[in-house]
Amino acid sequence: MIARYNGVVPHGDLQFLQKLGEKLRDKSFLHINSTRAGGGVAEILQRMIPIMQELGISARWEVIEGDNGFFDMTKKVHNALQGNMEHVTQKMWDHHYEINRINAAKLDLEADAVLIHDPQPAALIEFRKAGVWIWRCHIDVSNPVPEVCNYLSRYCKKYDAAIFSVAKFTRAMGIDEFIIPPSIDPLGEKNRDLTDEDIKETLDKYHIPPDRPLLLQVSRFDRFKDPIGVIRAYRMVKKYNDCVLVLAGSPAADDPEGEVVLKEVQDYAADDSDIHILLLPPFSDKDINALQRVATVVLQKSLKEGFGLTVSEAMWKGKPVIGGATGGIPLQIIHGVTGFLVHSSEGAAFRIRQLLNNPEMAERMGERGKEHVRNNFLITRQIRDYLSVWFSMENKGKSVLDL
Amino acid sequence: MMDNMYSVSKGGKEMGEIVRPFEFRQCFSILKATGRKAKNLRELGQIISEVNEESVFHHTYQYFLKGHAHEYTNDFAHWAGESLEERALSEHLSNIDPYDFRNIADLRAELFRVIDSYLELFPEPREAMPGDEFYFNQTITFVFPTGIRAQNLAEFLMAVKHVDVGSIYYHFYEARTRLGSGADDFSAWMENVFGKRSLAEQLRAIDPFMHTIEGIREHVIEAVEAEVRRDMEVIA
Repeated sequence: MIARYNGVVPHGDLQFLQKLGEKLRDKSFLHINSTRAGGGVAEILQRMIPIMQELGISARWEVIEGDNGFFDMTKKVHNALQGNMEHVTQKMWDHHYEINRINAAKLDLEADAVLIHDPQPAALIEFRKAGVWIWRCHIDVSNPVPEVCNYLSRYCKKYDAAIFSVAKFTRAMGIDEFIIPPSIDPLGEKNRDLTDEDIKETLDKYHIPPDRPLLLQVSRFDRFKDPIGVIRAYRMVKKYNDCVLVLAGSPAADDPEGEVVLKEVQDYAADDSDIHILLLPPFSDKDINALQRVATVVLQKSLKEGFGLTVSEAMWKGKPVIGGATGGIPLQIIHGVTGFLVHSSEGAAFRIRQLLNNPEMAERMGERGKEHVRNNFLITRQIRDYLSVWFSMENKGKSVLDL
Repeated sequence: MMDNMYSVSKGGKEMGEIVRPFEFRQCFSILKATGRKAKNLRELGQIISEVNEESVFHHTYQYFLKGHAHEYTNDFAHWAGESLEERALSEHLSNIDPYDFRNIADLRAELFRVIDSYLELFPEPREAMPGDEFYFNQTITFVFPTGIRAQNLAEFLMAVKHVDVGSIYYHFYEARTRLGSGADDFSAWMENVFGKRSLAEQLRAIDPFMHTIEGIREHVIEAVEAEVRRDMEVIA
């Protein structure tokens, strides 16, 4: 499996993985989350575990089980950590603990290092046996509901270390806190190379013209992704340049606001036949891949964003990206180098026009963006970082480690 | 931090002498939070004067690892310019050359002095937007051999074209603090092993603040390629 990444990811990353593999050979690394399929965490774990095993590490992935009450509660916790007002009662927390206790009894928690993903299994720390325990938070916790965050922190503080995606998500909990951005898998369905026929199939399916400049935003229909702002920008551009706009997103079953926002977007787009609002079914990775590959300019004009990996996905396909200067987007877009950061629809419109009128600049930015992603946001870098955190915890107090 | 990886004999290589090869090494870092953050210049100055040395090192010397556009030369200047829009201060801070200082304490003092002087002129600076505060981080750095070695300039030229940016960073930027002489590994090897003083001076003249790491690579290639060509012409 690792060999497949040769020539795709930085050579040094693979070399370093091998070196770390030698150091950690036959040690055990246990990952625990709450779902085997669906969502970015499961997606990455599916690819990551076999790679770690190939490095000689005894990597395992366990999934906790829970009832509806548990998952309703953890959804509330998730939302509250992202800043939505939610009330989580003591009874709910007790149930959360109880489910964790039951899982702890069933799972083999013996490992040299244990990485617990997100709040659902966070209370497993109460049942730790040995090894280094690390809590991995994949959520934007920059502005959480304090009561919920504080309650969860009771568990988090008992870990040896925590990992967050962006510096501003860190919580100063008194334990080691590392910053590791998420990553994309260049060989996964959403990012692998496609044939011309693959791309044509998607364009035909959604009736997208293949021969006109295409602006694309892939995101849920969520006000924080500012789809209305994207349409406004498109309309400003349209006065000067011919173009088509595609807004592609999945219907958000767990997001009651999604339908309302979708309706607003459809109303705002009115009868403009050059605006394509696509409701993609789940598992539309290949279609998203094709749309990103055929786009002229990709937008992620978010007003608030966790990390915004769609930016890296588009950059990996050599596309210039215009993104809102929020969350993890400024880590991915180096303004003026790999794309543009904007603060308004007007700003987005101006940058779209610049790119449409200057294809060489667009190409140059796309190339640099791809290299930026290669060096910073591919799965091998994330594995490298996880193993490095573990290794550094075993060599505490050293700021330089010579392998 | 590590043993010298090249011979220190002066005056070039004699016939039959065993050449100490250039071993390409590479480094990368993982980011760790210090738990400190500043929302305005006063807090920035205060925390700079208190935070651990690793954090000051990271936000100055390691700026180039991040692949920024080169409008600034350190994270403090970047934040002052982009998040606080205090352009004049960001210019002052960008003008601080970390390699001018013998130790972090002196660099820290200069950063504090510049911010403090600015605050005397403009005592009510604006605050960063929530979420846009300056987060003080530090790094844990891993160094490892790439397995690539060069015995002569032609091999070096081939290698330097292909090693990862982390290797160029390690030998060109990180070496300046590691060797304590402000020089990079490339020029030191070329001068000490082959007596290529003029080439070494050419490499030392590359301004580390004015290029991306890829830009540094291009300049190194250009200089070494010209030297190799000259050497070949002499042989012909």
